[in-house]
Amino acid sequence: MDVLQQLINGLSLGALYALIAVGYTVVYGIVQLINFAHGEIFMMGAFGSLATWLIVPGSSRSLAMLVIMLVGGVAVAVGMALLTERFAYRPLRNAPRLAPLITAIGVSIFLQEFVRLFFGSIPSFPDAKSAIPFPQIEFVTGPAIDLGGVIIQRAALFTLVALAVCATFLFIFVNRTRLGRAMQATSQDPDTARLMGINVDKIIMVAFALGAALAAVAGLSWGLRYTNIDFRMGFLAGLKAFTAAVLGGIGNINGAVLGGLVLGVVETLATSFIPGTFGGSAWKDVWAFVLLILVLVFRPQGLLGARVVDRA
Amino acid sequence: MRRPTIFTPELQQRHGKTGWLLGVGGGVLLALSALLPWSYSFEALDGPSLLFYPSPLQVMGLVLGLLVAVALVLGRRAGRRGRVQVGWTAGARAAAVGALVFVVIVLVSIAAELGGLVNVDYGGWVALVGALLALVGTRLQPAGRSATLYRAAARSWLELVAIVVVMAAALFGIAYALDTDDPGTFVSFVVFVGALVAVLVGLGVLGWLSAVSQRHRKVLILSAFLVAYLFPFTQDGSDANMSIATQVIVFAATALGLNIVVGLAGLLDLGYIAFLGAGAFVAAILSRSAFSTLDFHPPFIVVVLISGLVSATLGLIIGSPTLRVSGDYLAIVTLAFGEIFRITMINLDGEAGPNLTRGSNGIPAIPELNLFGFDFGEPHVLLGIPLGRFSNYYFLLLVVIALIILVFSRLNSSRIGRGWVAIREDEKAAEAMGVNVFGLKLFAFAGGAFLAGVAGSVKAHIDVSVTPDQYNFLQSAFLLAAIVLGGMGTVLGVLVGAALLILLPEKLRFVSEFRLLLFGLTLVVMMRFRPEGLIASRRRQLEFHEDDEGLAERIDDQIQPSAMKGATA
Repeated sequence: MDVLQQLINGLSLGALYALIAVGYTVVYGIVQLINFAHGEIFMMGAFGSLATWLIVPGSSRSLAMLVIMLVGGVAVAVGMALLTERFAYRPLRNAPRLAPLITAIGVSIFLQEFVRLFFGSIPSFPDAKSAIPFPQIEFVTGPAIDLGGVIIQRAALFTLVALAVCATFLFIFVNRTRLGRAMQATSQDPDTARLMGINVDKIIMVAFALGAALAAVAGLSWGLRYTNIDFRMGFLAGLKAFTAAVLGGIGNINGAVLGGLVLGVVETLATSFIPGTFGGSAWKDVWAFVLLILVLVFRPQGLLGARVVDRA
Repeated sequence: MRRPTIFTPELQQRHGKTGWLLGVGGGVLLALSALLPWSYSFEALDGPSLLFYPSPLQVMGLVLGLLVAVALVLGRRAGRRGRVQVGWTAGARAAAVGALVFVVIVLVSIAAELGGLVNVDYGGWVALVGALLALVGTRLQPAGRSATLYRAAARSWLELVAIVVVMAAALFGIAYALDTDDPGTFVSFVVFVGALVAVLVGLGVLGWLSAVSQRHRKVLILSAFLVAYLFPFTQDGSDANMSIATQVIVFAATALGLNIVVGLAGLLDLGYIAFLGAGAFVAAILSRSAFSTLDFHPPFIVVVLISGLVSATLGLIIGSPTLRVSGDYLAIVTLAFGEIFRITMINLDGEAGPNLTRGSNGIPAIPELNLFGFDFGEPHVLLGIPLGRFSNYYFLLLVVIALIILVFSRLNSSRIGRGWVAIREDEKAAEAMGVNVFGLKLFAFAGGAFLAGVAGSVKAHIDVSVTPDQYNFLQSAFLLAAIVLGGMGTVLGVLVGAALLILLPEKLRFVSEFRLLLFGLTLVVMMRFRPEGLIASRRRQLEFHEDDEGLAERIDDQIQPSAMKGATA
């Protein structure tokens, strides 16, 4: 039973990674940019949900509130992602590759500090310099569910359901809608896509917005699951999510979802089942990154194969 | 892309004469205002409140004002012909812009320190009006031809004197900047220096200086180190500034190592601080600290080598898998490696792993260095001037950084350096030309790691204690910011960037809260508007502005004469 329990824990953790990883992979697939600031977009999503909860009067803990928070978080994250795309990345689209990477790091540091310094200065908002308790919604954070010995936290279940819903929508969007197909075309060959009448600028914005929306869902889930959020949460989560994206095959959306789940499971299993001093939670981040390096050595194209046009 | 402009050529044609008068008048007005009180209270800045008794800051204003006026007057008289052109108008324009920024900063600082603009006395407003007039006036002048002063060849003793003057000015400027403890004065001084440099660029003097320094490379480098060695003697035995100076040099040495990796080879290494940390931990563990966990204490020279080798080995382990795949992965893997390093150092505390680093407590009480019987912890007296602990380390660090600069510049102009640049610009083309891409990348990566390890081993002794949290991702980001700010691929740029990044927060306590925010913003803004950094290498400048034909011609023009000289010499 223990293995099954850890598997469930791993899957729910992996679902979080998967939601964030999609953002990396979509953007990378189209503009070949590692958007370091994506972790911070995820963090912004969480803070956006919290801000919505603080602003909407009544501070209710009902299910309707959850939806409102989700909308608020998505709005903040998408808005921020579009702003960074427009003002930081777009001017550098034809610059040498190092330039947008360094910009991305700058954006990442800037957003973290921005939240740390200014979130608390909005009236009635708590100070963001340390962790802030996240509002708990009864329906998704109530008592854990016991399935014949395997205990599932409701927040974990919420994350899994959220991933399932998002992945379904994403699949339909990418494969069945005009915009989604335009996105695929752009990632395969931007120049030809432009010739076919696709507005590449718009597609890039859609890619950023899509990633940000999923990251905001992850941000909300994170808050529900870990009961508090802080301005630094995007760094490690972003790093892990990128690992997941590489694991699945960068540029490949299905791969990002699979990679996220695998990474979550590996991390959880490594924590519980590696014997001796190198097991346990102290080393879990190390194992995740060791996995990243191993993937790069033995299967750089990832589990499902990278879908990136080499434009170097 | 056309920039919107107020001062169109037509306007300049029509009002050129008025503009000239305005500019000269404004410059003189600004210069004269230095004799008037700028603030009501002597408390403000360095006390610019006395009639006919200018404070140092007011003298700086006077200098800028005179520069505007003199450049305009001489520009009118100068002939338009001749092989060598001085960029009088460009110089005057730079001086006017610098003067306006300078005056505004001074006035804002007075207001900030005393509470409100009411504290600005009439002299301050006169200065502001003068600077504004000068700005408008110089803008109304048609832009002259760009300076070609670099073509001028003066007598060689004159060139040597110029180098000495520049060095002395640098020494004096650094000593003065470190001596100011008032934030407003410090910022104003930095702006003044920036304005002076801009004027020199505009006039073309800087171009001439750089041509001169190419001709007298050895003299320049020797005098630069002489100046650096003289610096502690200007401090009257005070160790406070020397502590900052050692910080700057450690930071600069590490940034130079990173510059080989990022600036030359174009590999974005975001975990570079981990190599510094590895060196520091190795040095700490092998030191005679009572908290050292190994019973092996070789002499320091050996420790330095071991530190470098351990770091280089880590570099090889991280680099060999990642350098084969796309360069973008390297950034993220090194970022991950930085985290792995920090977590591992925390975990090797005897509980989660074997006891090597004593976990997050780190290793304290690292003894002072003792080389050839010279104890670095003891204050010494040399030529009647007492030198404290940090001065001792400062001298040692100068040797280390000299070594790193030597390695950097030798590599840069070698076959290896050419290979790196080729890889950075187009990996596939380089490979097709027979450059050993993987080998050179790995060499850059491991070599950079080696240098960081060496720097770390000295840093451990200066800091006295080594803890894992000193080596987090933000430190790597600072290093990167120093390179980006100063100029990728140049030595001088990195030195300037490192000095700015350490000095500014040190002198401006009130921005320390916003330090990181500003760093992040700096990275973004620099990449957007001046990706080649404040002090650019010419090659790099071209890379970032590929479609700027004019720039290409100017640089080509500047490079040719010296290249021909080099060929005939």
